[in-house]
Amino acid sequence: MTSPADAGLPFSALEHRVLRFLDVPAAPEIPDGSAASVRVFRAGDNFYAWLVFKWAAATVFVSLGLVSTTFAVIQIMRASPRWAQIGLSGVLLVAWSAFAIAAVLTFLARRLNFRLRWYIVTDRSLRLRSGIFTVDELTMTYRNIQEIRVTSGPLQHALGLATVEVHAAGGGGDAKHGGGGHVGRLEGLSNANDIRDLMVDRLRQYRDAGLGDTPHIEPARDVSEAAAARRMLAEARALRAAFAARPD
Amino acid sequence: MTAEPVPIAIAAIEAPSPQLFKYYVLKAIASLIAFPLTMTLLYFRYHTMRYRFDAEGIHMRWGILLRREIMLNYSRIQDIQLRSNVIERWLGLARIEIQTASGSAGSEMVLEGLLNFVDVRDFLYSRMRGARPHEGSPAAAAAPDSLASVLDQVAEELHALRQMIEQRNATRDLPR
Repeated sequence: MTSPADAGLPFSALEHRVLRFLDVPAAPEIPDGSAASVRVFRAGDNFYAWLVFKWAAATVFVSLGLVSTTFAVIQIMRASPRWAQIGLSGVLLVAWSAFAIAAVLTFLARRLNFRLRWYIVTDRSLRLRSGIFTVDELTMTYRNIQEIRVTSGPLQHALGLATVEVHAAGGGGDAKHGGGGHVGRLEGLSNANDIRDLMVDRLRQYRDAGLGDTPHIEPARDVSEAAAARRMLAEARALRAAFAARPD
Repeated sequence: MTAEPVPIAIAAIEAPSPQLFKYYVLKAIASLIAFPLTMTLLYFRYHTMRYRFDAEGIHMRWGILLRREIMLNYSRIQDIQLRSNVIERWLGLARIEIQTASGSAGSEMVLEGLLNFVDVRDFLYSRMRGARPHEGSPAAAAAPDSLASVLDQVAEELHALRQMIEQRNATRDLPR
């Protein structure tokens, strides 16, 4: 299996090794559809800033908790016997080093997560791939799309980011947090409105998309000249019949 | 819709790969204290899991005390997810999670323990609604200047003319 690093994406030697270790598969295959219609979108550059911001917020939050715990433990240690002091400082050391390692690892993961995202849109379907530890690849056809949503929080809005959600039928519960598979999420888009317009436009090509009654699809027309002439003949006959049925 | 034959490699799938059992053992170990219970459940799940891919859909069943059987038509598939965590990838596995339009938050069917998961996913995708070209797309239209298109325009005019006459007939039929 080739790693994504072979797909031409620039990765550092360390990242390359991490990807090989995690056995992350190469870029997703393009689903069926006309070759001209294939568009591959990536998360916007600011999405990385957003991920780093979330990482920093979580890191600060955890470190504040650790600092206050450390002070509390130091207070306890002052009134403790010698063996307890050694034990407690050992616990503190383990906690802080675990925190430092986790912070570095999650930072690296965010960086990779940002770059290992593919949102592929063809004229028939979409394929969304994301994730490093858990790799998630969703395939959905336009005919099964029920609705398209664009969402954006205040901070994301300030960064010019939005998420396009593509909903299929069904699925209750907490679909928002990755559990449900009925929703495809194109996260961290800097051109969300363009993508929404593109998808709405392509969705319009499928008049029977989604569930429910089909809004009147004309049967496929025979476009030969003879068939058109026959349609005209039928209309002309019906016209004569209508004329003949005049009351006066 | 014409029922095309299922590719031999996919029709041949009957039971999960032995790799799935290794994964289940690791999963049970990860449940620590609940290991005996989890291992028992997963052991029977693995040994009773059976698949059948036929022309219309997938049949999947498992369980001894609590038997479960799912039948799912290809054309009812809403979307397909290919998921794998690190452990599964190390074992060469991935889950294919299939969603239908029912109300559960989770997946309606999870195909586990398939080694050729990409082929199976591509096969399922090719059978789901809307994956074929021109299916459900607008009716083909004749070239605008062709004789057929001109004749159709004449037919449209005649149609409009007939509607006018029919409307008039209808109003004259009203009692005065």
